[in-house]
Amino acid sequence: MTLARRRQFAGAVFALPAILLVLGFIVVPIGQAVYYSMTQWDGITASWIGPSTWNQAFHNPTLWTALRNNALLLLSVPFALGLPLAIAVLLHQRVAGWRIFRSIYFLPTAISWVVLGLVAQRFFAYQGTLNSLIHFFGFSATNTNMLGYESTALSALGITFIFTMIGTNTMLFLTGLATLDTSLEEAARIDGAGRWRIFRSITLPHLRRFIQLAFVMTVIALFSALFSLIFVMTGGGPGYATTTMEFLIYQTGFNQGDFGTAALYGLILFVLTAIVGVVQLRLIGSDE
Amino acid sequence: MTTPLLDPSESPVIAPVRRRRRLKSGRVTLFVVMVGVAVVMLYPFWVMIYNSLMTEAQFLAGKGFSLGSWSALTSVIPVGQEVLSSTIICSASIVIILLIGLPAGFAFSKLRFRLSTVVFLVIVSAMMVPLQAILMPEFVNVTKLGLTGGYAGAVLVYAALGTPFSVFLFTTYFRGVPDELIEAGIVDGLGYFGVLWRLVVPIAVPAIATVTVLQFIQIWDDLLVGLLFIQNTSERPITVGLAVLSAGRTTSIPQLMAGSIISALPAMVVYLGFQRYLVKGLTMGIDR
Amino acid sequence: MAEITFDGVTKIFGDDIRAVDELTLHVAEGEFMVLVGPSGCGKTTALRMLAGLEEITSGTLMIGDTVVNDVLPKDRDVAMVFQNYALYPHMTVAQNMGFALKVRRESKVEIDRKVREAAAILRLTDYLERRPKALSGGQRQRVAMGRAIVRSPQAFLMDEPLSNLDAQLRVEMRLEIARIQRLLGVATVYVTHDQIEAMTMGDRVAVMRGGQLQQVATPQDLYDHPANEFVAGFMGSPPMNLLRAGVEGEGENAFLVLGAQRLAIPASYNTSHDLAAVRGAGIVFGSRPEDVEVLAGEGGDAIMTRVERREALGAEILVHLSLLDAEGTSAFVVTDEGKVVTRPSTLVAKMGPRADVKVGDILKVRFNPERFHFFDADSGASLRRV
Ligand SMILES: Nc1ncnc2c1ncn2[C@@H]1O[C@H](COP(=O)(O)OP(=O)(O)O)[C@@H](O)[C@H]1O
Ligand SMILES: [Mg+2]
Repeated sequence: MTLARRRQFAGAVFALPAILLVLGFIVVPIGQAVYYSMTQWDGITASWIGPSTWNQAFHNPTLWTALRNNALLLLSVPFALGLPLAIAVLLHQRVAGWRIFRSIYFLPTAISWVVLGLVAQRFFAYQGTLNSLIHFFGFSATNTNMLGYESTALSALGITFIFTMIGTNTMLFLTGLATLDTSLEEAARIDGAGRWRIFRSITLPHLRRFIQLAFVMTVIALFSALFSLIFVMTGGGPGYATTTMEFLIYQTGFNQGDFGTAALYGLILFVLTAIVGVVQLRLIGSDE
Repeated sequence: MTTPLLDPSESPVIAPVRRRRRLKSGRVTLFVVMVGVAVVMLYPFWVMIYNSLMTEAQFLAGKGFSLGSWSALTSVIPVGQEVLSSTIICSASIVIILLIGLPAGFAFSKLRFRLSTVVFLVIVSAMMVPLQAILMPEFVNVTKLGLTGGYAGAVLVYAALGTPFSVFLFTTYFRGVPDELIEAGIVDGLGYFGVLWRLVVPIAVPAIATVTVLQFIQIWDDLLVGLLFIQNTSERPITVGLAVLSAGRTTSIPQLMAGSIISALPAMVVYLGFQRYLVKGLTMGIDR
Repeated sequence: MAEITFDGVTKIFGDDIRAVDELTLHVAEGEFMVLVGPSGCGKTTALRMLAGLEEITSGTLMIGDTVVNDVLPKDRDVAMVFQNYALYPHMTVAQNMGFALKVRRESKVEIDRKVREAAAILRLTDYLERRPKALSGGQRQRVAMGRAIVRSPQAFLMDEPLSNLDAQLRVEMRLEIARIQRLLGVATVYVTHDQIEAMTMGDRVAVMRGGQLQQVATPQDLYDHPANEFVAGFMGSPPMNLLRAGVEGEGENAFLVLGAQRLAIPASYNTSHDLAAVRGAGIVFGSRPEDVEVLAGEGGDAIMTRVERREALGAEILVHLSLLDAEGTSAFVVTDEGKVVTRPSTLVAKMGPRADVKVGDILKVRFNPERFHFFDADSGASLRRV
């Protein structure tokens, strides 16, 4: 064998396990999901029904509730980006002890969202920290129970989500700020630009790629990583108030045993994330 | 008014002093704000520690202090066994992710073979597919293969979900390695397997660390896979143990918090120790 | 040790990129052969084919008596020094140098001995336990050399090994590499785009251009008798003056027409060069800058020029001259743009550091009559008979 052939052969062999694993555990199941979405399926036997299942699914109000919940949660994204951006800029000022602050700010990122969900439950509970704070500030008659009511549970989930994203996004922005050429800022300062001006015209544009990446990662997390929080905080309730798409898939499949419909919902989630994914590929791709 | 030159406030000697003082008060404000943020970020730890240091009765009464929850912890939550399960699942998955991802990354970056570009794109796109989207077929496949009895099913699913990212990261990393290094190995008498084992693996240490740290935190903290793909309660990881207990609503909160601390510790240690690699992994592809 | 033979070796990338075109070249045992040419002319590709890193499209390549077209790099027993050194970053200097031997399972003792020997030759003994990162550019270069030396291979292949060094180190290493090569007597193919390296290091120099071999000769031969206009222009700094001219008259009376001026051609060139064929037609006349001399006084076979520019380099002065036309003003008739080689609109004379010339001076210059060069205006080939 010539060297070039050996190279190609080695390449194929080295890549093969990855190819097989991804095919077997990710690509093939997508195909299966398409098939099963058109069947009546309980996990053991599947009977073919056809595309009409899709029609039915879209008439199910719970699906629309879940989609609406996902859409409403998107409102938390600006906060999940804005707060970390502010924190990163603060850290970047390098006040005394900034390294310690940095570690502290990042630390919750290491904790499982299961645990953070348990903590959030303590925070929002009737006898929790939130009410203590309200009382502390003098509103002793006011009591909240955000997780207990349909009107407020989703907000509580959103707030928890924002908190859980702070570490990762701050880290991203801080990395971005570290690559900022300080001589640019200095030049602008010499030109008489104020702080806000410098932030608007130099810092923000420089962070563009990092903000894009953080945005994509945040949205993907929103679509596919809330499971742990919902599972321990609300179980999707009250009612369907905190049931998002990913949780609906779990409930439909494992609580109701309707595997076919759950597979179908999975495909809807797949399309939603694919849209975000294409954006991300663009971002990565535009580098090369 | 005398001549402006004699006005001390206009004097160039005084001006910087005044400026410095204003800066200093700004710094103090900044410091206070940072402390405030730190308090918020440390809140989960405070909740966990504070609540774990009570008995059930003390917790309900809202005051008191005791180590009782800790000493009785193992009788309620099999933490030892659960941490062990988490450790086994994590290590096995990461080993597979590295063993599969590293050679594939080498192949895609340096050993162009037929269709390698297309295959690479497919694998990288798989990074965007959330497990929930393919949850039903995946669950049924793994169950039918009889892999949910032990750790194998969960390990394989984690490995499959982690492989696309690891392939992407290794590929990006190896693209930065000059081709000549590999050719030097070839001229020195190595085959491609020898190059992989004796040259590529040793220089990939930083990338290996990045993948390991990121995947460790991801898998250690995950709930969904452990919840569904491990049948025996005696084999479930700690996040699942905590989540299931909390969903039961009869569990003592102090003990749940004590368990949470135990679950959070390993990830935090890894996190603080290897922060550098984490940042590198997160921004792979856009910081340069 | 062995000789190397390229016989009609061709490399085509993709469908139509002829990186190396019918290369035929013989490198004798122990010879230092320099492959020189502008960037993109196929030097690296030729070297990589020799190393076995690039497949040969057609032709035969031999090391010693063996045809190696289909032999894997590891079985060719050649050592390569890469432009960026390609040192293994995770190994110490000693491990880097001994790696090829370790791959071949030579004994630890043997490896250690050979590494120490090579390190001594390269003055690396004090650095053996360091990692490449902790070395200077020049030291890394030496380690790359060491890695090749340790193997005592059939041949050394070096691809622009000095191009990443600063100017002074380059001069030092030039001598160093030549010294070591002579010491070891291993056939060496050394690729560079730097004609000074080619001139100073090679036993022989092969000039390439556009994938094709232009000329192989000793450095002096190459300098004195370039086979074509390209080689004439490429070797030497500043390059040879190449002027578009006509040839008229016969035998003793043959003369060169340079714009409005004439210059007698010494009779000897009628026999040494094939001037008869181009009589009346255009040729390219060449003369090296150091062969352009200023004449004082009347008479003599000379042409009139004007000083356009003056570059003092310390040890010498480069004077840019333009030919005068019939009216006595500067003329640029000798330009010949659009040809394969851009012939300069002026000619350059190399003068002593104290030469008293100013811009605008009118100078009478002559070309050293023993060192005339004539090239075909169309093909660029030398008209010298061989
Ligand atoms: N792998 C390749 N694929 C396609 N074209 C190549 C490849 N390697 C070199 N070439 C082309 O072949 C020609 C010769 O390249 P090279 O041998 O590197 O030149 P040199 O070393 O003299 O600068 C160039 O035009 C280059 O673009
Ligand atoms: Mg080259």
